[in-house]
Amino acid sequence: MNEMFQGILSWDFIASGIRVTTPILLAALGALIAESAGTPNIALEGIMLISAFIGVIVSGFTGSLWLAIIFGVIVGTLMAAILAYFALKLKTDIILAAIALNIFASGGTIFFLAMLTGDKGSSASVNSLLIPNVTIPIIDKIPILGDILSGHHSITYVAIVLIFVVQYMMYKTPLGLRIRAVGENPDAAESVGISVVKTRFIALMLSGFLASLGGLFLSMGYVSWFARDMTAGRGWIALAAQALGGLNAFGVAAGSFLFGFTEAVSYSLQIFDIPYEFTQSLPFIITIIVLGIYAWRKVKASGKLNVSNSSVGPTEK
Amino acid sequence: MKKVLIVILLTVFVLSAFSATRVLNLINGTLGDKSFFDSAERGMVMVQENLGLETKTIEMGYNPSEWKPTLEDMSDSGMYDLIVVGTWQMVDTLAEIAPYYPEITYIIYDTDMPFDKGNLDNVYAMTYKQNEGSFLAGALAAMVSTDPDFEYSNPDSKLIGMLGGMDIGVINDFLVGYIEGAQYVDPEIRVTTSYVGAWNDPAKGKEFTLAMYRQGADVVFAVAGETGNGVLEAAKEMDRWSIGVDSDMQLIYEEKDMEIVNHMLTSMLKNVDQSVYRAVELYLNDELPLGTTEALGLKEGAVGLANNQYFDKFLEENPDIAERLDELEQMILEGEISVSSAFGMTNEELNVIRDAAK
Repeated sequence: MNEMFQGILSWDFIASGIRVTTPILLAALGALIAESAGTPNIALEGIMLISAFIGVIVSGFTGSLWLAIIFGVIVGTLMAAILAYFALKLKTDIILAAIALNIFASGGTIFFLAMLTGDKGSSASVNSLLIPNVTIPIIDKIPILGDILSGHHSITYVAIVLIFVVQYMMYKTPLGLRIRAVGENPDAAESVGISVVKTRFIALMLSGFLASLGGLFLSMGYVSWFARDMTAGRGWIALAAQALGGLNAFGVAAGSFLFGFTEAVSYSLQIFDIPYEFTQSLPFIITIIVLGIYAWRKVKASGKLNVSNSSVGPTEK
Repeated sequence: MKKVLIVILLTVFVLSAFSATRVLNLINGTLGDKSFFDSAERGMVMVQENLGLETKTIEMGYNPSEWKPTLEDMSDSGMYDLIVVGTWQMVDTLAEIAPYYPEITYIIYDTDMPFDKGNLDNVYAMTYKQNEGSFLAGALAAMVSTDPDFEYSNPDSKLIGMLGGMDIGVINDFLVGYIEGAQYVDPEIRVTTSYVGAWNDPAKGKEFTLAMYRQGADVVFAVAGETGNGVLEAAKEMDRWSIGVDSDMQLIYEEKDMEIVNHMLTSMLKNVDQSVYRAVELYLNDELPLGTTEALGLKEGAVGLANNQYFDKFLEENPDIAERLDELEQMILEGEISVSSAFGMTNEELNVIRDAAK
């Protein structure tokens, strides 16, 4: 038992939780923007996957880290633009278009991987680059605080900053207001001269941009190669984290950290005599409990028992 | 004259079509798994080059609904005399289809078949004694773990680890051998086990492995497909040891990152290629024991530690370890050591072994 707590309560464990959270957080922030605009983006999984792939391939073949990051982000954003084009201009169902993109991402990355490297499983033979970790001077010398604050991956710091940026953008800038307006009531927004299509286009592209950073983190930091379907459901977990946090960036961040840390706990717990079926379902059990407590408090606070489920779900239309 | 020519040509064509054995390798996934599918494909190349047979490989993808119709179509086409399939996921499909095509011989690798039903006289199944190879991997891990001369070892804690893809029979067969091998060398060694629950999530595999290293394990055996590559990365990051599986992973990474290679002891190979080649050869000599499952181990060269230049160098530098491994291998070959298998074990029996080692 003592060993167990040593495992969980170590600073390494916190670092582990932060690592697990980073890709989920970025994609969840993307989900937040898309959801706010009333155009749920369930292609996050595929966008992350493609960016992860592009980052590895570009850095492997050009040897330039910056090119890899730029291309990874551009292609990820383009994927979201394609989704927006299909959904907004061609009026296809956005869910179906996103599913198609996810399938394309899975198959397409394998196809191009095989074409470029002759390997359909992973880019283990490609000498790709890593986006470095950041050691903050001075702070890293302080015990405990240094362990918590310093030494994380660059994209992790970017993700933390982006929580505030997204929150500021959504609630303090005209763009954020427009995004929320077209999400709340597109007709009303249209009537005051906001272009619904344009605003949603921007929102989806922003969500693609954020998800692509999550993808780059996976293949250029977390591990140093691209592997087939390596996002492994993180894009979907991000959607759940967004639903948990609602349309508030801090709430979404809290939801992402909850997922990340319960998952990190489940890794550490497996070492002990706890059935692995249980440790694997732990993140989801905790999510249900938290959602339950959250909903219960909302109901209590509003003093009504038959409040609709809008209190925890995404936008009300 | 023209007619004669046509007849001759037709005869030649028909004869050639019937004489050369044509072998089909049906993969219920895609190539590039760095594991048994790639290995089976290498076996097909050997069959083609050394035995001169016509071979073809079809990748059916990971969608199970595609597998049965493909196997049925290919069997029905009459173009193949020998069809090779693999993994436990194909057992039901093959058991359903094989009885309809008695003229075709089916070889299935890495799984048992329900031969007691009695209608599968055209099927030959091979399983691998991964427990034997893992025994050697476990013994090696234990020796390295307790040796203070190695920079990456942590002799204070007698703990090694294994990362499994899922809690299933094949993976636990690796585990049982690994535990037995480690504890044969040093009864005090403990083995910690984690299952990721996914075959394609190297990031999660890395995270699980870091947790094991933090707990004090210094060698982790990666038995988790693509997920297992995360182990190699974790070993590099934490300056600990890793052991690969199925393919020679040191050779896969040598072009990319020597740091990963240097943190690997070796890989425990499962030579599907050799075994497929052997089965086809037996088939050509009419010696293939159809209607049975054969368990192939160290003796048949179906499993074993990868003898690449890196591991050879390691053994050269550590002659006592090399000697001990040779000795253990001989003892397994001669039957002096019989390694337990997770197949046929109940869950309770397995849990006893697993928990006792923790």
